[in-house]
Amino acid sequence: MAKAEYTVLGTSPARMGGVERVIGAGIYGIDFALKDELHGGILRSQYAHARIISIDTSEAKKIPGVHAVVTAADAPDVRYGRTSIDRYMLAKNKVRYMGDPVAAVAADSPAIVKQALKKIKVVYEPLPVVIDQEEAMKLDAPTLHEDMPLPKNLPADVKVKNVCSFTAVHVGDPDKAMAEADIVVDEVYETKMIHPQYLEPRIAAARVEPDGRITVWANAQAPFAVRTDVARLIGVALNKVRIISTELGGGFGGKASGITSGAAIEPICALLAVKAKRPVMIVLDKAEETISTTIRSGAKMYINTGVKKDGTIVARQGKVVYDAGAYSGFGAMAGARCTNMLGGWYLMPNCHIDGYVVYTNKQVCGPVRGPGGPQAAFAVESHMDSIAAKLGMDPIEFRLKNTPKPGDKIVGVPKLRDVSLGETIKTAAEKIGWGKVKLEKNQGIGIATGSWIESAGPGGGAVVKVNEDGSVTVHIGKIDMGTAPRFGIPLIAAEELGVPVSDVTVVNVDTDASPWDAGTVGSRAIIVSGTATRLAAIDARNQIFKMAASQLEASPDDLEIKDKQIRVRGTPSKSVPLATIATAAHNIIGEVIGRGYCDNVAMMAEEKARGSSQPFTAHACIVEVSPDTGNVKILKYVAVHDIGFPIHLASVEGQIEGATAMSIGQALCEQVVFDNNGRTMNPSFVDYLMPTINMMPRIETTLVHGYPGAGPYGAKGAGEIACVPPMAAIANAICNATGVRITKLPLSPENVLRGLKEAGKA
Amino acid sequence: MSLTINTTINGKSVSASAEPSTSLLDFLRDTLEFKGTKLCCNTGECGACSIIYNGKPINSCVTLAADANGAEITTIEGVADGDKLHPVQQAFIDTGAVQCGYCTPGYIISVKALLDRTTKPTAEDIEEAVSGNICRCTGYTKIVDAIQLAADRMAGRV
Repeated sequence: MAKAEYTVLGTSPARMGGVERVIGAGIYGIDFALKDELHGGILRSQYAHARIISIDTSEAKKIPGVHAVVTAADAPDVRYGRTSIDRYMLAKNKVRYMGDPVAAVAADSPAIVKQALKKIKVVYEPLPVVIDQEEAMKLDAPTLHEDMPLPKNLPADVKVKNVCSFTAVHVGDPDKAMAEADIVVDEVYETKMIHPQYLEPRIAAARVEPDGRITVWANAQAPFAVRTDVARLIGVALNKVRIISTELGGGFGGKASGITSGAAIEPICALLAVKAKRPVMIVLDKAEETISTTIRSGAKMYINTGVKKDGTIVARQGKVVYDAGAYSGFGAMAGARCTNMLGGWYLMPNCHIDGYVVYTNKQVCGPVRGPGGPQAAFAVESHMDSIAAKLGMDPIEFRLKNTPKPGDKIVGVPKLRDVSLGETIKTAAEKIGWGKVKLEKNQGIGIATGSWIESAGPGGGAVVKVNEDGSVTVHIGKIDMGTAPRFGIPLIAAEELGVPVSDVTVVNVDTDASPWDAGTVGSRAIIVSGTATRLAAIDARNQIFKMAASQLEASPDDLEIKDKQIRVRGTPSKSVPLATIATAAHNIIGEVIGRGYCDNVAMMAEEKARGSSQPFTAHACIVEVSPDTGNVKILKYVAVHDIGFPIHLASVEGQIEGATAMSIGQALCEQVVFDNNGRTMNPSFVDYLMPTINMMPRIETTLVHGYPGAGPYGAKGAGEIACVPPMAAIANAICNATGVRITKLPLSPENVLRGLKEAGKA
Repeated sequence: MSLTINTTINGKSVSASAEPSTSLLDFLRDTLEFKGTKLCCNTGECGACSIIYNGKPINSCVTLAADANGAEITTIEGVADGDKLHPVQQAFIDTGAVQCGYCTPGYIISVKALLDRTTKPTAEDIEEAVSGNICRCTGYTKIVDAIQLAADRMAGRV
């Protein structure tokens, strides 16, 4: 359907929850407090790798004002993990990174918590530390998990250790095709660990209720996963645990769940509340978060591509060595995604890539915004420019030559339905002035493209209630963090039920009342909750039409609803207010309650049959490189995206702009730096550099249309894909300006200057 | 040893006690319950805790409560006129510059301080005024739009 057919979809009305945010209302987790609450704190390992010989908490327990001290001994002997069950909530036997939780304290004040944490005596036997993931694979590296077997699918002839998971991507006959290529380009790329650095610290607050149930308040992206964790890890039945979501001050995957967050603060907090018999709240310090919670992993990527003289890509071979950190976390999934994406999103008839996800003594990989994608794209799209240079071909022409058409396949996708890649490339080229703009000395122009998985993952539901005044209440299982739940979702309910957007309330998640959901992750909010909300609103509308039909002496099929009035189509004089019907419902069915769901299995089957319409993007920029300092300034930046139909236009633009900025940060300055002992050298915001307004160009966003996705009204997820191209777009522009190809992130003044010096250009 | 701090906050005289080591941010949030001023880095880097202090925007996390004796303070709670939002607040909503919203109170404080000085800010003025406010969600593009819109509305240009 075209935008003109809709009343509110495709526009940009004020977001739900805007006013409370601009007046500074105390809505976030950090603003939360419970009556008589104790303060909780976590003792973290000071060794990156050590055996725990003993833990003595007796001195800490004696301190006045201390109400509970817990270690692994106080919890069930249960481990957690998404793909490998390899981690205790509180470390047992061994610690594997500096920041691993070892014990926790609940006390009357933060000062007493600190004092008590210092009095816990842990005797460690330090073990050799391994920081680099390639070093960790060597047979003489220290063993991180003695009881974790190597992945079953690892080829028998591969002799490695500390490998947490393995993925092999294979298409056609790459060995043969490579031998027949005219030109082969072989490169190695490397990205570093970055932290999502959402601004609001993580919190958890827990209270044991009079009936014995445990309520946990959390600013987590996946409250139902937190419920599962809390129940399992402290050993109570699932129905004894209730999670209530506070508002979130950012997440970006970092707050994605109790399990994958790696902080595990919710179950620790619940355990403290049980032991102390008092409510407890834990607030993490920002520096504590940088060293202990989950991150975007670094990846080392070997990429080798064969092409014909005319620019046709014939084969690719490659290897990904992806850092899982100390535990499996989200590593297997992010690493597999990175491995698939190293095959690119162009025509690739022959391909083989091995992906190793490897344990190291560092903090754990999480599902940070587009997990695995930005790393792969840095390699793939920098490499595309290197190949084009070898061919003597224009980078745009080379990309367009290898762009798939509808019906073609790309690595990991058997059949494409619509392919917007070509249009995004051409549009980005036009917007940046490719081949036309006059570049001054030290300036360069670059382009990079990207794609992201068409949605895949658990389904989810929605409940839409129509109140007696005609207002609408929506229950979904996804929390809002400035994303679809408070932008696009209210528009969908308003559109289908003919009410003003301001009459729609989307309720925050309470696991006792909300539909189960996997969480606000994976660009899934608009796909899952949007689809479910649409169907639930239609279900509610059908119930309303059925009741209104008898009153209006018309068939339900002839009714329409607009401006909170139900009318007979074509006979505007015959109408009844929505409020009247919703009130009358009290005597009939009680309340109009619509139910809808996103059936992911059916959706994916349909997409498989008709071909996938995944999102594509092209970003282009102009940079200026200082030959004296190596500083890179972005002068112009365009982001061209196909995200299908934009349900809330400003929200879609905002997601694109924000995700672009996050990867510009990774491109130019962000990284978590370690010393050889595994200590984080830049835990605080003083040393962890993030983009401020000074280094950010205006992001000029353009949407291309006509490629409907599997989401409601043809929407595609928009939260992550803009993270994919920026690093390569900037690296390509730097190369265009200087002739120097920099293959390691970040493209910081230090690294750029080194690159220029090594090439004899500075 | 506890100190008595006498300040004027959002036009009202406030008196409360604080330890000498208490930051002005903790004093505002925990003692006086002004939860709109946000806690984040605690090192003066991110601007989430910005307040207007004797007419100038500062980071309250790296200021001592003890130093605020006699000071005149505006927090985010004092920016709107009753139920009527300040033009800066309205502009942030209207342009879609509020995503998670956690940096927003600090931004509104910094921008209000700028626009109290001039409603014709240059691009450099805007950059300088909010260079100490980190936003992780928006990429800053819509924030610049919001500042420009607020300035235009306050000057009667739109």
